[in-house]
Amino acid sequence: MVDGKAGRGMPRSKEILNLAISIGEVMLESGGEIYRVQETVSRVLESYGIEDYHVFVITNGIFATVHEQREDAGSMVRYVPIGEVDLQRVAAVNQLSREISAGECTVEEAYGRLRQCKEGARPSKWVLILSGGIGCAGFGYLMGGRPYDSFFSFFLGMLLEVFLLVTAHYKASKFIVNILGSALVTAGSLALYAAGTGVLFDRVIIGGIMPLLPGVSMTMAIRDLFGGDYLSGSIRLIDALLTGMCIAIGVGAAIKVFQMLGGGVLPL
Amino acid sequence: MIAEIVMCMLATVAFAVLFHVPATEYFFCAVNGGVGWVTYSFWLSHGAGLTSASIWAALALTLAARILSAVRKMPSTVFLITGIFSLVPGAGLYYTSYFLIMGDLARFMEKGTETLKIAGAIVLGMIFGLVLPQSWFNHLGKAVERIRR
Repeated sequence: MVDGKAGRGMPRSKEILNLAISIGEVMLESGGEIYRVQETVSRVLESYGIEDYHVFVITNGIFATVHEQREDAGSMVRYVPIGEVDLQRVAAVNQLSREISAGECTVEEAYGRLRQCKEGARPSKWVLILSGGIGCAGFGYLMGGRPYDSFFSFFLGMLLEVFLLVTAHYKASKFIVNILGSALVTAGSLALYAAGTGVLFDRVIIGGIMPLLPGVSMTMAIRDLFGGDYLSGSIRLIDALLTGMCIAIGVGAAIKVFQMLGGGVLPL
Repeated sequence: MIAEIVMCMLATVAFAVLFHVPATEYFFCAVNGGVGWVTYSFWLSHGAGLTSASIWAALALTLAARILSAVRKMPSTVFLITGIFSLVPGAGLYYTSYFLIMGDLARFMEKGTETLKIAGAIVLGMIFGLVLPQSWFNHLGKAVERIRR
């Protein structure tokens, strides 16, 4: 992993390659586009005087070689599982690579800066839970809910965010998280409906499943396909489609169970 | 209308927090979300269908994100990812699933196709927005910087 000490005893070219790939890795796992990662790695290598290099990036891996024809040849492969979107890191690492290419940063300094980028402040759990609630309430309102329905979306959104944080902690499978998450929202909304609160349960559900929707995968798929990275774009596209299907399964299953429990036919 | 825009901006900021956007960019993410929603509801109220309204909204959103990215010196992803959520067809996905469970296959097909069409429309709109060369946006960013000094 990224560590300034890892550079000791390595040829200089390898040290630079390690830095460049580590910067690319942080960017890729936090939600950077393929072309941006590729460009960043190349830019860092060039800024430190490496001319003969090859970089290949896909959604979950980086491959690169430097100075293939020379004594100090180096090559590296990094497996980068799709991680949690963290746009602050993408922005910070992007800034770092700009400074490197402006020649304002030595290799050793860059390692230090990269470590800072990785440890940068994150919003606390409470802030995340609260914004999950606000997001669901807001989108529930946009999708035709009344303020009264948004009020309930708010609490379901917070509940969903707690669920997402817990499952992220146990590294649960994405499929299970999406199915159970959307089932949780649907069940909560139907329970409110059955309790006689008079909510428009469909609007509450639509607002509630918002954080699960594959907006990120879809955006990334388009950007990657547009950049000519067809393989990476397809990976993202499949991810988006499967996520959508999982949400549909979760919602459908919860409605079915509700009906079997005697909830009757739901009005539209 | 005003209430909708405010709610859209608020919800966009909430999602920006979820995606760990730097706090200095919250306001601009909100503006981008607002641009998308205003365009979307403008075309809807002028008789456009869901699909064509989504194309226009995605186009406006992408252009706004690229302008903001040049002015704010941030990757455009920051604004694009947070802004796109007001357009993602969550309602369509819900009704598709609902009609499937209810056994109403005709309406299931109708809603399912509509959802896919909206998703395709967002793709198209974004692609149109990405076609413009980056150098134009870079010039714009530099011009704004000159004015600020």
